[in-house]
Amino acid sequence: MSARPPKRRRTPSLGKELVGLAKGLGTTFGEMLKPVITVAYPEDKTPRSERYRGRHYLRRYENGLERCIGCELCAAACPVGCILVVAAENTEQNRVSPGERYAKVYEINMLRCIFCGYCEEACPVQAIVLGPEYELSDTSRDKFIYTKEMLLEPDPIQLRAEDGS
Amino acid sequence: MTLTIDGHAVTVPKGTLIVEAAKLIGVEIPVFCYHHKLDPVGACRLCLVELSPGPPRAQTACTTPVAEGMTVRVTSPMAVKSRADILEFELTNHPLDCPVCDKGGECPLQDFTYRHGYPVSRVQEPRLHFAKPLPISDRIALDRERCVLCYRCTRYYDEVAWEQELTTNQRGVQSYIATQFDQPLQSVFSGNIIDLCPVGALTSRVWRFQSRPWDMDHTASVCSRCAVGCNVNLWERRGELMRVTARENVEIDDGWICDRGRFEYTHVNSPERLAQPRVQRRPAAWEEALSRIAAAIKGRGPRLGLSIPADITNEEAFLLARLLNGPLRGARVVMPGRTSLPGPPANQLAIKDLDGCRTIVVVAADVRADAPIVNLRVKKAVAKSGARLLTVNPELIDFDRHPGVEHVAYEPGHAAAAVRKLFDHPLLQEGPVGILYGDSAGAEDGAAIATAVAWLAKEIGAKVMPLYRATNERGVLALGILNGDSLDGCEYVFTWGQALAGGVPKGVRFLACWDDFARPYHDRAQVVIPAVTFAEDQGSYTNLEGRVQFLVPPLQPKPPLRQGWEVLQDLGLALGLGSDYLGIFQVQRDAAAAYPALAALAVPPAPAPPPAPVAMGAARP
Repeated sequence: MSARPPKRRRTPSLGKELVGLAKGLGTTFGEMLKPVITVAYPEDKTPRSERYRGRHYLRRYENGLERCIGCELCAAACPVGCILVVAAENTEQNRVSPGERYAKVYEINMLRCIFCGYCEEACPVQAIVLGPEYELSDTSRDKFIYTKEMLLEPDPIQLRAEDGS
Repeated sequence: MTLTIDGHAVTVPKGTLIVEAAKLIGVEIPVFCYHHKLDPVGACRLCLVELSPGPPRAQTACTTPVAEGMTVRVTSPMAVKSRADILEFELTNHPLDCPVCDKGGECPLQDFTYRHGYPVSRVQEPRLHFAKPLPISDRIALDRERCVLCYRCTRYYDEVAWEQELTTNQRGVQSYIATQFDQPLQSVFSGNIIDLCPVGALTSRVWRFQSRPWDMDHTASVCSRCAVGCNVNLWERRGELMRVTARENVEIDDGWICDRGRFEYTHVNSPERLAQPRVQRRPAAWEEALSRIAAAIKGRGPRLGLSIPADITNEEAFLLARLLNGPLRGARVVMPGRTSLPGPPANQLAIKDLDGCRTIVVVAADVRADAPIVNLRVKKAVAKSGARLLTVNPELIDFDRHPGVEHVAYEPGHAAAAVRKLFDHPLLQEGPVGILYGDSAGAEDGAAIATAVAWLAKEIGAKVMPLYRATNERGVLALGILNGDSLDGCEYVFTWGQALAGGVPKGVRFLACWDDFARPYHDRAQVVIPAVTFAEDQGSYTNLEGRVQFLVPPLQPKPPLRQGWEVLQDLGLALGLGSDYLGIFQVQRDAAAAYPALAALAVPPAPAPPPAPVAMGAARP
């Protein structure tokens, strides 16, 4: 790079200064008139895609039985190993899900989960789904172990009974 | 004979089946009905290969012996298509409930369909349905929908167990497996059909839905239920013992285990197990409990009685022998549940040598109860090697259902005399002869039988096998620490393990108990300390033929639980016997040096062999 001769300094004129100021203020006031794209979270929230992968739910059938059959394929598919399933056998006295098998223990470590959705994909009965909620902060690590009771969606039959009363 | 399989030359002995030859060079031919311990039957047709010279059709590799110059094509288009078509047939009625099936994850049908089957199903029609699951015993469930009719289970019952409890009803596609007259299975060998079943038709009810195969880790260990020492895999999940399966060792168990070994493990996970040492029924530290015991039992001589468990390890017995040669000299030591047979014989018959015996004599023993897997080995020798069997027992035993078996009855209590009379029995004139003897569940004098059998064996040149009942009875006998049958008259009693036959004697001034579960007589004990089980304990057992085998525990003892050798070492310290073993290897080294019978302990257990790689066979069609 060749050295250039130093530029001759010119005294700024007042007119040019004012034009510059007006340009700047023009941008400022122009932005005020444009539509706002920031959101006042948490009062306001952005819309989410229908396929957003947030907090998990365990679904039920219309008759209130749990969909989960405790097959552990979600746990096998999980790349971070955050799902624990312990299965048990349905009996006539204690029918939890249709068929022979149900999940006695179903736990997800939400701190470890990466919300990839592989569990949902692996599930043969569409029991585990990832819902839209993403506000999962809490005050202690223990509270991030979501148990089956926390993950299960409410019993539709019980809900209807409560609505009726 | 040399033949070519997919271009690979392989030389095998005459009579070898094609599937076995292919296995040698790592070519996978899928099989359901073929099992290397059962006679070939050719029922499932999955092993179809193309032969030349041969007919222009696919042939079953599991029923065809090799021939010189034979060319086998496993991956030819005809063979690949034939096998895929057979798999499609197998799947027409198979319910695809793999997610809830306990076999899922270790299922040959899954694997073969993945590797040899069509990628999609064409079956639209309704499938055959049966009521399921059907309990065919307390421990086994039958799912007829999943069955692929390979008949491994019924053939196992006929050929190996000689029990005929399973059969096939109906014909063709309607065939189903059933128990005889719908009675529950009675056999003590029933659990093996779970391992044999290539699909999820026969599953364990004890392990039912407890875990998936991929959840578990397993260790290659030894069964602790009896003195045979069958090799087993212990499966662990989340600090619990999940299941026990057979691990084939052709020299001992031949791939089978009995139901005691397979199903009697649930106590390991029981929440009622003792976990904490207790002194006068209040929780205490190990140091306090052991010093209380030491102070009470030290130097009592014959007034001290010790009861040791049947599944004491060689290492624990060695450490106990040190105490008995030192501060506890003169104490009476009993082992509840053992036979009255004396120590090891001079001319021991190995279990694997039963196959080569011309004549087998079973004296005063219900082999099925005392040494179940030896029972199967005798049946194998009779059925497959043509051995002749002579049973010497007051009553008929299960061997006697076989038509060729000769029975010699004797008056109960006179077994030894009956043995001496066998001298000129025509069956014993041709060798080699193997003599198995017990003490008729305690009804006979074991020492007298052993003497008579030793005399007979010497006269006719036979080998003998004492059928010890307690797991490590032979190891303890080799150490020579047993010196009584009851603790009556002992004022200071230390019981370890299972309850004494006659309970704790009356007039005991001090009672200490070392056990895994609370027992009624613990109420009278001043000190109770918790014991580990076979799934947590390190050590080794000597089986009834004198072979030393190592336990490989899948679980860690949960603190404050401690391993047996650690507790015995600390008890020794409390008794004033210095020792500084930092690990079990040092105990084993010293035990090997001190006792010739335990010399095998000097060689640390070989690491488990790596799992055999899955042979990749023909690609899918």
